[in-house]
Amino acid sequence: MSDPRGPVVQRQLRDFVAAAIVALAIATAAFVAERNAELADHQLDLAARAMQQLVATRTEVPSAHAAIVEPAIASSRHPFLRHRRAFDGSGSRPLATGPDDKLLYDAANRVERTGAFAELLPDGSGRALAGKPGEGKQIVVVVTDPGSPAPFPLLVIVGVLGLGAALAAAGALIGRRAARVGTFAGVASLAIPAILWHSPIAATAIALVAIATALAQRVGLADRIANSLIRDRVALGFLAPAGLAMLVLVAAPFIIGIVLGFYDHHHGTWTFVGLSNFGEILSGGGRALDDPLNFWFILGVTVLWTACNMVLHVSIGVALALVLSRKWMRGKGVFRMLLILPWAIPNYITALIWHGMFKGEYGAINSLLHAVHLSDVSWFGSFAAGFSANVITNTWLGFPFMMVVALGALETIPRELYEAASVDGASAWQRFRHITLPHLRPALGPAIALGSIWTFNMFNVVQLVSGGKPGDSTNILVTDAYRWAFERGDRYGLAAAYATIIFLILLLWTVFGTRIMRGKEDA
Amino acid sequence: MSTPGSQHAARTAALVRDVWRQRSLVILAHVAVVILVAIVLYPVMLVCKQAFEPGRSLALSASPIPNSVSLDHFRDLFSARGSHDELLFVRQAVNSVVISLLTTIVGVALSCTAAYALSRFRFPGRKAGLASFLVVQMFPATLLLMPLYVILDKLGLLNSVVGLVLVYSTTAIPFCVWTLKGYFDTLPRELEEAARIDGASPWLIFRRIILPLAQPGIAVTALFAFMTAWNEFIMASTFMTDESRYTLPVLIQSSVGDHVANYGLFAAGTIVTSIPVMVVFYVLQRYLVGGLTAGAVKG
Repeated sequence: MSDPRGPVVQRQLRDFVAAAIVALAIATAAFVAERNAELADHQLDLAARAMQQLVATRTEVPSAHAAIVEPAIASSRHPFLRHRRAFDGSGSRPLATGPDDKLLYDAANRVERTGAFAELLPDGSGRALAGKPGEGKQIVVVVTDPGSPAPFPLLVIVGVLGLGAALAAAGALIGRRAARVGTFAGVASLAIPAILWHSPIAATAIALVAIATALAQRVGLADRIANSLIRDRVALGFLAPAGLAMLVLVAAPFIIGIVLGFYDHHHGTWTFVGLSNFGEILSGGGRALDDPLNFWFILGVTVLWTACNMVLHVSIGVALALVLSRKWMRGKGVFRMLLILPWAIPNYITALIWHGMFKGEYGAINSLLHAVHLSDVSWFGSFAAGFSANVITNTWLGFPFMMVVALGALETIPRELYEAASVDGASAWQRFRHITLPHLRPALGPAIALGSIWTFNMFNVVQLVSGGKPGDSTNILVTDAYRWAFERGDRYGLAAAYATIIFLILLLWTVFGTRIMRGKEDA
Repeated sequence: MSTPGSQHAARTAALVRDVWRQRSLVILAHVAVVILVAIVLYPVMLVCKQAFEPGRSLALSASPIPNSVSLDHFRDLFSARGSHDELLFVRQAVNSVVISLLTTIVGVALSCTAAYALSRFRFPGRKAGLASFLVVQMFPATLLLMPLYVILDKLGLLNSVVGLVLVYSTTAIPFCVWTLKGYFDTLPRELEEAARIDGASPWLIFRRIILPLAQPGIAVTALFAFMTAWNEFIMASTFMTDESRYTLPVLIQSSVGDHVANYGLFAAGTIVTSIPVMVVFYVLQRYLVGGLTAGAVKG
């Protein structure tokens, strides 16, 4: 290299820029939080002053609309309509037509119900709404005009960034150790605005980023990451759009979901409860083992459900594929078209149709049973019947997938193999066992792995066919978790813990099922 | 050792026995397949009967042949009006079509590029990426509702077509990526090598060689993405607050709610909703076998 300093400074600035972007994001978050808190303080203060002044002097404060509101009186013509009159700086009027009257009316109701309050409107406009009891039965309410938040301090940021870059570059020019000190000092200088904005947490985080960057430089990690980014930029570029979408809409909710499992939700407030949700689930919540709400009971049902379905799907699917791939089979094309019909019908519709067929004493299934002189079955009256109804429905919609996969795999078997085996005197069973099965395995393995995950989490069928009936006994883990979240008192935290446990079970199943999966993963 | 004559006779007898066994097997197989087809068709015929027979209660006989035929339910379905006097069915059908098509486009575009990277390049984090695409399938989607609701709210994407399309696309991506990656793996690399030597950029290779070759695999992926969006109702009914922004599945599911059940309307809606999926499905089904199993079967 002719001038070893050039690349050194370049590398130094590269690391500085990467770290500075992270630090800037943190500093901006701190600024926004500080600005919002300031705005809220200012607006709530304005609201309080407006109410005070209206009560004391009957005059208005600029950019706030306060009113003293009378108790509600039922309308003489329509008793369900309740009127309120309001006095503000300009006189007395009914609360009905003004632009903010709906807000003020509701605020007055709220004060009567729950007492004084003051808050920013949740619409992001920066308006404050407040109310408190006044003299007698009167209520004082106020809504302010939108507040204008402080602008983003671009000059401060640009100045600090320049200072940081200069520090980092200077360090690089002096020497290797000084380069790291320079990186640290340069990135850490971004903590100054964070301190100005009263956010010690952000300042600490930025300092940590600075330390991490300097350390990464020391062990050469920064260079390795940069090299990898340059070398694999094409691959990463192709991966980036999907990766970004997955990060925001799959990974983020996924992590939030896991975190929520450590909280308890009660009437809109979340409290951290550590592992107690998991404890409650895994201990069965003090219920007997045969109680349908006991986790272990539901797990048993879910495993049984998955096993029954997979056995039926695979055996029916493979049997049909074997028959349909025979030379002597007539009308192959037509049969295949008809047999994949269940796959083409949306599964929630299938579930609703079968629910209707199983329903009641005179449903289609029971009518059929009558027609062949069998006694009818109360399909949602016992565990066995309800469970069977679910399995029948899911098998009806699930076997075509396995059939199609098996058909595809069978097509790849060279005919000569069978002919050679026949010549050697192999029996039909032997041919199936030693030729067909080994060729089916690589295709069916992944299909079974995927199918078992889908079945384990098959919400629609269980929810819409038996709906857990009788008495929650046919629920699987997903539908039970759903009930905890939305039907048994909004226990979101418990439901999230359930989801995490379901996830871990499936993860274990896949890890131990890798042998089946190996056909698909060449990596 | 027996004589040649008796050997011949024994062989003929065995052959005749074999032919008979074979023939009865053939008949048995046909009978079994016909029975299964009947089981597959029966619920479908019941729904058709329900849709064309007047009356809103559940059909009370096992016969799949309607007693009388009317188009009342279809007329009710098409003429249902919402709170703003808009034609609900038309609105929701348009929503469904738009959302499903956009999901297909976005989902397939994102999956194709990702699958190409995972199939053709070796880079650190590749295995972890592949595994993570599989792992996220295991978290029950129903329970991602709450976190997703919060995120869409923060992004201002609640009650918006864009939000729903993004959610559906990302739901479909993992499966699509795996299927496509498997398909790309089976494509011969010689063409790409030749193109690379001639100086083609990776993007050009992807667009002009990989995409045309992978059409069957892409067709299956598109079908899957389309069905994901077309058939979903829980997220649609949670994230869309406006009745006129609901999709068809929400309409159909609510027609047989706990309080009001109109099975005739449900059946008519079912038929109308299922037909587009079935059309797409049958158009693409010739690719289904190859596309789905190509990744798994090699050789």
